[in-house]
Amino acid sequence: MKFFRLLTGLLFISSLSFAQEVSLLPKDESGKYIYYEVASTGLSEDSLKLRALNFITKNKKEIKLKSGKEANAVTATGKIVINKSLAMLSRPSGEITYTFNFEINAQKYRFWLSNFEFIPYQKDRYGNFVPSTTVGIPLEREPKKSNAEQWEDYRLQASKYAATFANRFKDHLTNKVVKPKLAPEKKVVSKSW
Amino acid sequence: MLPKADNQINYLKINLNKMKNHIAALSLLLLSTASVAVAQEKASPLEISGSVDTYFKYDFSKVANIPTYFANEQNSVSLGMIDLALKKTTGKASFVGELSFGPRGQFQSIPDVNGGYDPATNGFNIQNLYINYAFTDKFTMTAGYMGTFVGYEVISPVANFNYSTSYLFGSGPFQNAGLKGTYSFSDKVSLMAGVFNDWNVYQDFNGVSHFGAQLMVAPVEGWSAYVNFLTGRSAGAGADGTIIDLTTSYQITDKFKLGLNAADYGLSNDGGGYSGAALYPQFAFTPSFALGARAEYINFKGAAGAPDASITSFTLSGNVKAGGLTFIPEVRFDNDKDAYAGFVKSNLAQSKSAAQFSLAAVYSF
Repeated sequence: MKFFRLLTGLLFISSLSFAQEVSLLPKDESGKYIYYEVASTGLSEDSLKLRALNFITKNKKEIKLKSGKEANAVTATGKIVINKSLAMLSRPSGEITYTFNFEINAQKYRFWLSNFEFIPYQKDRYGNFVPSTTVGIPLEREPKKSNAEQWEDYRLQASKYAATFANRFKDHLTNKVVKPKLAPEKKVVSKSW
Repeated sequence: MLPKADNQINYLKINLNKMKNHIAALSLLLLSTASVAVAQEKASPLEISGSVDTYFKYDFSKVANIPTYFANEQNSVSLGMIDLALKKTTGKASFVGELSFGPRGQFQSIPDVNGGYDPATNGFNIQNLYINYAFTDKFTMTAGYMGTFVGYEVISPVANFNYSTSYLFGSGPFQNAGLKGTYSFSDKVSLMAGVFNDWNVYQDFNGVSHFGAQLMVAPVEGWSAYVNFLTGRSAGAGADGTIIDLTTSYQITDKFKLGLNAADYGLSNDGGGYSGAALYPQFAFTPSFALGARAEYINFKGAAGAPDASITSFTLSGNVKAGGLTFIPEVRFDNDKDAYAGFVKSNLAQSKSAAQFSLAAVYSF
């Protein structure tokens, strides 16, 4: 009996791990989907910014730095590749682009992902899938009935990605120690004068 | 010594415990395998994609006048092709294998086993077959049989806005088998260079004798331009052939896109060639409906002192999309002032113009 209880428990845990409930992102004042979070920290502003820039560098395949010149802010653009899957086969069907903003203020920081836009992919002459256009369709746009289910799936995938991204980012800010680059040592050249 | 019945009971208990342990171990193994399977699904799966297309074309002279490479059969519900592509990436290496079947996918676009285009001869049905290796984020090398890097239009109906093809497309290469390296200086600039077989062939009979290069620039968001160069001498040819080609497109507004293709091909020793340009304005009224035009001028260079001949062509196409399905209604008007293409009227008298209507359905998956 104990054995069957153990087996049942294991199966239940595994089913929990497979069942991932995702809630849709909220909208901001302008009606755009947004993932927004504010967190407190004991780290210095310099350390936070270094770690944020390091996170973007480490994940350069999905996110690219747009601006990091401001002392307490970082802006980047990213993309989520959407795959169309059937059984074990899959291919990219499009991407959802987004903007990422990060700001530091006193002992707090905030970040948000917004401007989610879907760009469909198309096969190029070499058999690779590439963006078919540079113009994205905002996820806030209401789809046609025939496309409603697919569009809702895009929104959910963006929501799930944003939540996962946030966890990875916060973990990186908290746990990743990044040493600042030292300025090169100045040398006096006395051979020519 | 225990009584026999007790021994049997103990034997059963022991074996039942052993069985429970085996089942528990097997369950744990299955769960861990499922976990590994979930992890493996996050790695690059095999990608399979493709398209099918069919069309109806009607030339108003009741003769298939316009020498478009596809959509060439008059007054017939005809086949394009079924196209299947496989792609997989493992780490830095990837491969693409693309097969095609049907008139567009066989004798109209790829050579048969003899290097010709005889519909009666079997072919390999291969549009793309190559391996790619990304040495770094910036540098990749590719080897195999690939769709050409030259030109604006391609063989696949999915990637073309118009269903009929331009004279520039028909005159240029379709495939370039070879070895090439591509270096991305940045998101805005990249350079490709390589050595290639003769145009369109699986086997090069005079050695790998073509050199090609491509410069890509993306000056601003939404605008990309490719300058292509390909030169060499094909087997059996008495002259070197060199093509310089510009392919560019600019998404000027959210709805309006402008494309341009310009090319010049020449054979040495006054061997002829061609030059021309085509403009592709497109307007997307909605995500499901767009109108696009193609205005083309091509000049065929006379060989050995023969006169040149030029043709102008105007094509208007619609793209009506519903999921993976695209309907392409199209009208086309060609003017051949030098009577080069051999247009005829319905009574087979010579004509210097031709016009056709076509309706195509393309499904991509």
